[in-house]
Amino acid sequence: MNLHLFLVFAHIVGVVLGTGGATFAEIFYLKAKRDGVFEPLEVDYLKTSYFVLRVGLFIIVLSGFGLLVLLRLNEFGDPLLGVKLWAKLLIVLIIVLNAFLIQARKMPMWLGSSLSLTSWYTATILGLWRGIPYSFGQIIIFYLLSVMVVAYVLHIIDKRILKSVTIKK
Amino acid sequence: MSTSLSIFLTIHVIIGVLGVFLFGGVSLGLLKKKISVKMLKYFSLGGLISYLIAWVLGGHYYIVHYGSKVKPIIKAGDMTWAHSIVMEAKEHIFLFLPFLAFVSVVSIWTLGSSLDEMPKFKKAVMLVSLSAFIIGILIALAGIVISGAATI
Repeated sequence: MNLHLFLVFAHIVGVVLGTGGATFAEIFYLKAKRDGVFEPLEVDYLKTSYFVLRVGLFIIVLSGFGLLVLLRLNEFGDPLLGVKLWAKLLIVLIIVLNAFLIQARKMPMWLGSSLSLTSWYTATILGLWRGIPYSFGQIIIFYLLSVMVVAYVLHIIDKRILKSVTIKK
Repeated sequence: MSTSLSIFLTIHVIIGVLGVFLFGGVSLGLLKKKISVKMLKYFSLGGLISYLIAWVLGGHYYIVHYGSKVKPIIKAGDMTWAHSIVMEAKEHIFLFLPFLAFVSVVSIWTLGSSLDEMPKFKKAVMLVSLSAFIIGILIALAGIVISGAATI
């Protein structure tokens, strides 16, 4: 296994952990919210999901920069200035900023959850997609629209869960 | 580029990014009501050491290779601003990093858990660490632009 392959593998592992972690964090959050009380075990599951997510982010960023260095050393600069890379970088920055704002209690969870989920999945799709035919602006507009759609979908799911709990009571 | 320079450049990038991550962790850690002193101590110290190593290796690369080999390529290309604005800014603004990191380390190591009893000072240390984090991110992004301009 050469260095490039190792870094790509590490990057994919990071994506799996990060996107998976974000998905399960959201699932556990919605489940924990059902009765309005966050039990210690539920908090523990959430903390574990966030930890896995952060490990994923760490691996992604380190392996990602490793790949960028390889491009530099091989004098292959086009991807370094490409739309796809900079869109992914911006989205990773949004993930990090979102984490800070959530920790500082400055981000409402309905938006924070949507930003987190949409960002992780958008970055994953961008990573998988070869030859993206859109400009940076188009990608970001689509991303922002997706954030709103996901926020609405999570709101619907949340209301249905609340409704089912209310009916059972 | 020689093998040793390639290695130095690689370590400069990776360890610089590690430093950024560690100060991100310090900033997040200081946002908590009850701080984890052990984590903050090792993250902040690790971040400072990372920034110092990145500084030395980056400086070596700049003096030995960038000025004579890379800068002319950028200035002869379509992205001259990558040197005249981005690199010039990077080589001056990065200097904040080790000093901000040092202040964060000294504050955390000397005060430890008593930071929880000094909310205003704790917030100040968080802002210093956050600055070290944000400036680190900008420096890393600047590096990508410069590398791209040098190799297109």
